[in-house]
Amino acid sequence: MKTITIDPITRLEGHGKINIFLNEHGDVENAYLQIPELRGFEKFSEGRRAEDMPQITSRICGVCPVAHHIAAAKALDAAFHVEPPVAAMKLRELLYCGYIIYDHILHFYFLGGPDFVVGPEAPAAKRNILGVIEKAGLDVAKDVIKHRAYGQKVTAILGGKATHPVSGLPGGVSKGLNQDESKEIKDMVISCNRFAKFSLELFDDIVLKNKEYVNLIRSDSYTLKTYNMGLVDKNNKVNFYDGMIRVTDQDASEVEKFAVHEYTNHIAERVEEWSYMKFPYLKAVGWHGLTDGKKSGIYRVGPLGRLNAAEGMATPQAEKEYKRMYDTLGGKPVNSTLAFHWARLIELLYVTERAKELIEDPDITSTHIRNPVGTPGAGCGVVEAARGTLIHDYKLDKNGLIQKANLVVATTNNAGAITMSVRDAAKGVITKGNVNEGLLNKVEMAFRAYDPCFGCATHTLPGGMPLTVNIYDHKKNLTKTISQA
Amino acid sequence: MIMRTIVLGVGNPILQDDGVGIHVINKLREQVKDTEVAIDIAYTGGMNLLDIIRGFDKVILVDAIKQEKSRPGEVICFPLKKSPALHSSNPHDVSLSEALLLATRLGETQLPSEIMVIGIVVKNTIEFGENLSKEVAAAVPTAVSYVLKELKNT
Repeated sequence: MKTITIDPITRLEGHGKINIFLNEHGDVENAYLQIPELRGFEKFSEGRRAEDMPQITSRICGVCPVAHHIAAAKALDAAFHVEPPVAAMKLRELLYCGYIIYDHILHFYFLGGPDFVVGPEAPAAKRNILGVIEKAGLDVAKDVIKHRAYGQKVTAILGGKATHPVSGLPGGVSKGLNQDESKEIKDMVISCNRFAKFSLELFDDIVLKNKEYVNLIRSDSYTLKTYNMGLVDKNNKVNFYDGMIRVTDQDASEVEKFAVHEYTNHIAERVEEWSYMKFPYLKAVGWHGLTDGKKSGIYRVGPLGRLNAAEGMATPQAEKEYKRMYDTLGGKPVNSTLAFHWARLIELLYVTERAKELIEDPDITSTHIRNPVGTPGAGCGVVEAARGTLIHDYKLDKNGLIQKANLVVATTNNAGAITMSVRDAAKGVITKGNVNEGLLNKVEMAFRAYDPCFGCATHTLPGGMPLTVNIYDHKKNLTKTISQA
Repeated sequence: MIMRTIVLGVGNPILQDDGVGIHVINKLREQVKDTEVAIDIAYTGGMNLLDIIRGFDKVILVDAIKQEKSRPGEVICFPLKKSPALHSSNPHDVSLSEALLLATRLGETQLPSEIMVIGIVVKNTIEFGENLSKEVAAAVPTAVSYVLKELKNT
């Protein structure tokens, strides 16, 4: 067996593997992405004090602690039958904007962007933030670092602690905002808004003006015609913090709209024996295997899923960019997986505008930030995590202890789509058994676009558990293994 | 000039062995009374770690390690720069090495001149839980002694 070692996995070193099966002509018959999921959270939660859940769940993932923190707080609002004061909801949403700011900046410039800014064919060693600096310049890099830090600072001020917030409680938040903090946040979000606009210009210059990249974005290998899902406000505009879950079809028509507590009526989970992941799908459409189109209940969440599932953005600058994306890429919905990157930047612009609205709202410095809780029961909370719809579902006993907890995380929602995107990208770049590093990066680009979060709770050094690609011939013999050094 | 040192335990406290760095720090706090030494924990990686260690001269990083051909509970010390494939095993962040390279490239001057990693080879990190496996729990005192030895060298 010939083993080739490559190093392109530097920006997504999960513990998983991709198994690619070739047919007798050496073309891709099928490809499966296998990722070991972290297990046992439900059991771990049982018997714990419900009010500890915002802290505990924020430890699930070193990446989206804010999303889990807020989803948990919202589930507790419902479980304790309490509606937080208006100011508390605005404070939570502002905290949330800070999180989306740093998360989206990190993904675009550090993880997803290098493929475009440096180029998909560039050597792996160059396809990283340092390569981006080389191409875009030191001043851009300084701005990236500065604005990512601003996002973090906003969440630290509002959350009471850097990275892992502690302010969310059933019925509201524990920490308000004083005038000085408010001023500091306002200056930061105004700067972030300028930076978001700059990022979209950069995307224009580097990606959209490059015909080759546009062709890549629009190519069949990176196209998936699934349903789309995301939270929307009362006007069907994208919302990260609250609203109804809306599902649109391949013609961009609304097919479902439901409140989070009804999610089990609309979403079911398929278990496949070859995968650790569960595959959610729309109950009304049903499971018909890993296939797209109207007859398959598979849907997409995350930046592109959200934009497709909504009718626009609630702020003027982002709305303009939203329309421009659809005009450029041929109308709604956009099914190009690589357009997730563009959608992400439009969302970045939206959250900076929304954050400015919130910080200028007189309610934001109110001291009425918590309402007393009622009797414990059951409740669900939903937010749009950076990478898609996140649901927390708790059942409490009469003493307020967790009896049952269920979490549907964003990457799980995207599991079917990610698997298909990997397969299609592999089909597009592997022919006659011909595989090389440049080709494999294009397979990785397919799942990197989703900004997935597989088993991301670990911080184990020094790696050594890379993503491995196994290639099997038509007799299912392993012919090649490609993994990180 | 006094050298500023930070001992930083990294890991996830609710993911069994992954949180061993935190367990080591908790033990260490009982033994180190020197107020000149900063002792902290972090449940995060990459760029966030950089924000914590900025301004220190020396960093002693205590973390979980997964490494083929090593047995759970083994404690390994190595300077960060000697590890070519150092990742925070987190798909949505850069490794600390990459974050440091970036900071250097941007001309930052407050970066630590020395980063030592004290790694404990782990066993269970896929299922949630607050307890360490037997092998890894037994390695905590060893890791603490390595940290103390490293502090004496500064």
